[in-house]
Amino acid sequence: MFKKMGLALSIFFMLVFMGFLCLRPGFGAEKPFQFGLLLVGPYNDHGWSQAHFEAGEYVQKKLPGAKMIYIDKVNPADRQGITIPQLVDDMVEKGIKLIIANSDDMKDGTREAAKMHPDIHFLHISGDDVLTGKASGNLSNLMGRMEYGKMMAGFAAAMTTKTGKIGYLGPLINEETRRLVASSYLGAKYAWEKVLKKDPKELTFKVTWIGFWFNIPGVTADPTKVAQNFFNTGYDVLISGIDTTEAVVVAKQKKQEGKMVWAIPYDYIGACEGASDVCLGVPYFNWGPGYLEFIQASIAGKWKSNWIWMGPDWKNINDPDTSTVGFKPGPALSSSAKKALDSFISDLGTKKVNLFEGPLYYQDGSIFLKDGEIATDKKIWYMEQLLKGMLGQSSAK
Amino acid sequence: MAWLDFTILMSSVVAGATPILLATLGETITEKGGLINLSLDGSILLSAMVAFAVAFETDNLLLGFAAAAIVGALIAATVALFSLYFGQSQVAVGFVLTLMARDLAYFLGNPYSRLYGSQVTPLQIPVLSKIPILGQIFFNHNPLVYLSMVLIGFCWWYIYRTPMGLRLRSVGEQPRASYARGIDPRRLQLFYAVCGGLLVGLGGASFSLYTKPGWGRPQGAEGTGWVALALVIFGGWQPLRAAIGAYLFSFLQVLGIYLQGWLPSVPAQVFQVAPFPLMIFTLLVMYQAQKETVSQWVGDKSWMKTFVEVFSGAAPSSLGKPHHPE
Repeated sequence: MFKKMGLALSIFFMLVFMGFLCLRPGFGAEKPFQFGLLLVGPYNDHGWSQAHFEAGEYVQKKLPGAKMIYIDKVNPADRQGITIPQLVDDMVEKGIKLIIANSDDMKDGTREAAKMHPDIHFLHISGDDVLTGKASGNLSNLMGRMEYGKMMAGFAAAMTTKTGKIGYLGPLINEETRRLVASSYLGAKYAWEKVLKKDPKELTFKVTWIGFWFNIPGVTADPTKVAQNFFNTGYDVLISGIDTTEAVVVAKQKKQEGKMVWAIPYDYIGACEGASDVCLGVPYFNWGPGYLEFIQASIAGKWKSNWIWMGPDWKNINDPDTSTVGFKPGPALSSSAKKALDSFISDLGTKKVNLFEGPLYYQDGSIFLKDGEIATDKKIWYMEQLLKGMLGQSSAK
Repeated sequence: MAWLDFTILMSSVVAGATPILLATLGETITEKGGLINLSLDGSILLSAMVAFAVAFETDNLLLGFAAAAIVGALIAATVALFSLYFGQSQVAVGFVLTLMARDLAYFLGNPYSRLYGSQVTPLQIPVLSKIPILGQIFFNHNPLVYLSMVLIGFCWWYIYRTPMGLRLRSVGEQPRASYARGIDPRRLQLFYAVCGGLLVGLGGASFSLYTKPGWGRPQGAEGTGWVALALVIFGGWQPLRAAIGAYLFSFLQVLGIYLQGWLPSVPAQVFQVAPFPLMIFTLLVMYQAQKETVSQWVGDKSWMKTFVEVFSGAAPSSLGKPHHPE
């Protein structure tokens, strides 16, 4: 009798225990798809890295089974001696299936790590390993066509400047930064000559390079000082090409001193917040749709090594679900300039205006595009110099 | 146009030198009393973060400055207490504190990263700001810049022209003799370490509330503390010369931006890094200038003598050697 009762009780408790196990969150559910994010700067830099971090959050929202693990400040100044393969090894050990590296600086490390972990998918932002044939099959490249965003920035700057002097706070010199500065210049030139019908000689466009994507004391030029110098020498609109907010901060400072100046930050949609009196708008990346596409392909087993250069959705360049590149006009942009900008954006979308159409010359006078020639993606991607008419260094050599 | 460029250049130099000047003056006072506060780099960062956070939360710049000065003073007091009263190595304590304060600044300051906050507003000095060239260079800034300039003269006057300054120098040179004359070297050294720390804290605050408004990682103040420590040596432990060093460093930094445009064939990185090796080179020259063999070699060559004199300077005799009465 007692034996039977004991057996019944044992079965009862076993069932209760198993019931608890089954009720435990996640039990029986599929394991989440973990993806890793290596950020070059802090996740809350109000710039490049924050735009990527928020794209990761976007993916988590859109794909309930996806889970992001991020490591920020992956740069030589903050994490001396730490290599990309080391961080990747750690992530792979945690069960991560796809890793996104968000800096051009991580190119070699990502390539090496991809070769070491053929079962893991890698997405290198802004790189070109697939294009050059150096990538293994598990490595893809993604970039946004920010050239359009920068054209809009240059356009807004030229529509606003009173002195005809536009400054550009440049990061380091490479193909990517050259084409972005050149795009800003082309946008400004178009507004100046075609919309405002002003003398081309009266427009000055100058870039000063700080040496990296953000300030590293003792290594780069101080972007605050560079920005101050621009404004002190008569430049009244400053376009930022770096990942942090110095251009806007200094513009606010100069505004307090009574100067009529403006700034255009970069990368992050929220970069104008708190700077309504000086911010003309921000060309920004919206990485969410691109991330989602690659992660879904990875989950579905449809991964392909691809080099993707995603552009704006011309129906609505600020659509968070479809447009990889956008431009958010700032409160300091005048209504007339905004109206002209809207028309310019529309013309870019319909291809009525193509600023990468010849004749265009490099800074040293050599031909970049012959008369009537339209630049191919490759020609724009690998720009060798700044364009004729721009001031500033073309090369770091 | 050339004059305009020169004026703008020098005005930027004067404005940009403020934080490093305040920190250098603070450390000069501390070291003049015989104590080395090696925590400057972390201290500047933590006070910069605290200044921005307090000013942001309270919308009161003065509170921001006050909080930063207190932070600087507390860190300096910690170095002084451990060294003077607990017999610990001031170099080790200072070094540990600089690392701790730096990491603490990054950790605690994370919620304030890249936010737009209050900034010090400019204040032209009437009449003086209208003086051609000089007015633009020296009197067209904000109260903080004026304070830093006034402090150069004040520190010099205090150290070399007042009885209190004489006592400060005496504890830095001969603490035993001072003790014999009824001065408590440890109390005095603690007091001047706190005073120096207050200035270092103000230097940090002037970074985040004026020179590089805002907070972030990196803030841009990193490395300044080490440069300030080097400038104290460059200045031969004299406030006037240390101030010249601070302006020289600022000049080299601003010049780098101009040179990029003037000499496009030279890699931009050269100008960015140039101030640091130049500072090391100057320290090397100073070290050599103090050698007996060099002074013998110079002999009566008048121009060389002047050159060597400019670069020579001796540290307080008891610098880094705390006095323990027992």
